[in-house]
Amino acid sequence: MALLEIENLNVTFNTRHGKVTALDSVSMHVNAGETLGVVGESGCGKSITALSVMGLIPMPPGRIAGGEIRLNGENLVTASDARMRQLRGAEVAMIFQEPMTSLNPVFTVGDQIAEAIMLHQNVSADRAFKDAVALLDRVGIPSPDSRARNYPHQLSGGMRQRVMIAMAVSCRPKVLIADEPTTALDVTVQAQIFDLLNEIQRDFGAAIIMITHDMGAISEMADRVAVMYAGRVIEEARADDVLDTPQHPYARGLISCIPALGKDDTELREIPGVVPPLHMLGAGCAFADRCDYAQERCRREKPALVNHGHHPAACHAVEEGRI
Amino acid sequence: MKDPTTVPASEGAEPQDDLITRYKAQSPASEAWRMFRRNIPALAGTVMLAIIVLATLYGTFLYNGDPFDIVWAPHEPPGATADFPLGTDYLGRDLLAGILTGGGPTLAVGAAAAAITMLIGITLGALSGFYGGWVDNLLMRFTEFFQVLPALLFAMVLVTLFSPSLWTIAIAIGVVSWPQTARLTRAEFLKIKELEYVTAARAIGARNKRIIWTVILPNAMPPLIVSATLTIGVAILFEAGLSFLGLGDPNVMSWGLMIGANRDYILDAWWPVTFPGLAIFFTVFSVSLIGDGLNDAFNPKLRER
Repeated sequence: MALLEIENLNVTFNTRHGKVTALDSVSMHVNAGETLGVVGESGCGKSITALSVMGLIPMPPGRIAGGEIRLNGENLVTASDARMRQLRGAEVAMIFQEPMTSLNPVFTVGDQIAEAIMLHQNVSADRAFKDAVALLDRVGIPSPDSRARNYPHQLSGGMRQRVMIAMAVSCRPKVLIADEPTTALDVTVQAQIFDLLNEIQRDFGAAIIMITHDMGAISEMADRVAVMYAGRVIEEARADDVLDTPQHPYARGLISCIPALGKDDTELREIPGVVPPLHMLGAGCAFADRCDYAQERCRREKPALVNHGHHPAACHAVEEGRI
Repeated sequence: MKDPTTVPASEGAEPQDDLITRYKAQSPASEAWRMFRRNIPALAGTVMLAIIVLATLYGTFLYNGDPFDIVWAPHEPPGATADFPLGTDYLGRDLLAGILTGGGPTLAVGAAAAAITMLIGITLGALSGFYGGWVDNLLMRFTEFFQVLPALLFAMVLVTLFSPSLWTIAIAIGVVSWPQTARLTRAEFLKIKELEYVTAARAIGARNKRIIWTVILPNAMPPLIVSATLTIGVAILFEAGLSFLGLGDPNVMSWGLMIGANRDYILDAWWPVTFPGLAIFFTVFSVSLIGDGLNDAFNPKLRER
């Protein structure tokens, strides 16, 4: 049994276009000590998947229409609010995309980490603050003693993301969800944050779900990858396999869009078209309109995520051996 | 230019220590205080209000006299006798004693009314903005009900129903002025609850109660503090208005009561209404200057000036 298993998760939202399906039978799992990368364009359902695990889908308008999320076998979808509050932060924690806006501006960073500790552990405020300072030291913040008394706006983006990581790991969660943790940071800081996450994972043995649209981040961090498109997982495999031999035309497109240094490519590649709005998804494959290999069957019938030889991919063209 | 504190973490700790201490303790509140200190009108308002408060608190120690005692001939103009520098009113009561003792109740009613306004307004506005849905609908209709009542008339009804005393006056003012605060609080909550640090607080397992009072409310405070300050000024005027209409507490001297009592003789003697009027004017003016100063201090767009 994997540490965290998501099985056939369906999430719908009521919008002014009617009910739309944000997640359609999404299944994935992550083992202890493993990093699962979740890739896809904006609006593909990566963040909704993460928020579902945290139990933070705004309801209404959102609704978990079916499926299970199991942490150590315990179904989080049916867990009570009180139980979810216990789990949040203690067992599953999350790092957000924007370190600039995900810290409360009116409290010092030390107080905020201490608060996270006190929510789950029965310790005094003094003890929690000392632990917070130790955590700041652990995530590589110099002079943690005085930094703990700083307010978020006094720290740089990279430091704030370190603070977020310190807060997320403060109660040694088993699952750490990182929702595009480096998107807002510049490249050198990105590398430092990846190193830190890898170290934290070694020390704490946490499973990391890394949500990103950056293939570089995937090759750096992930053991396995789930590629998402329009609310479905369309390819899932070991990171190397997806990077080296992508199967689904969308995954192929993503990989070929990575600009390589030293190549003579003068133009940046792109995948033509955009993700269709969720309320306009038809019966067939959501990628069909952007796909060079699309045939009549693709527009009629949704492909299932099945292993067609190399590794699981949801594509009729792969199944039929046309690519 | 990069912020000097943003040295990459990989570099050594020692050289930055002096920088860190120099940049220490820049809480949003201390930053606002720094801005406020530079604002001359706001500072003038603070000094003015401090003088008024000190005068009403300790003035009677220096200048002793019961404001209800008839001490001299009626309508003695100011300066006519050294004993009563501001003259006497239509009954021959000492005006300076009235102003010094009347300030306390006036300010107290203003502050208490503002506190009641904030208490009701912030509580209802916070719940309304945070929970949304039917809670919001219900509370906002309730708020609108109070908002469309003519404030002064409703306060008059309340005061006449529950015999006039400082407390009933403060409560009446609070009950008619909270809708604005509620709407302001609700608007701030609607804005702030969507921000990422609120989701982040949820993600560490904080419960709603905690998120409302310790995450969102502190961030919603700046406009509320400004509004509270201005409410004090409005409440003082309101109290004066009620007293002027004869609905003040007749047993407690207040500025409004002085104006109300002497208004019939304004053509014979200008001073019994003018001095308490000026006292009210300067108090409300100073409070407004402070409110404006706080508004500027909390507004990040004006920080750079």
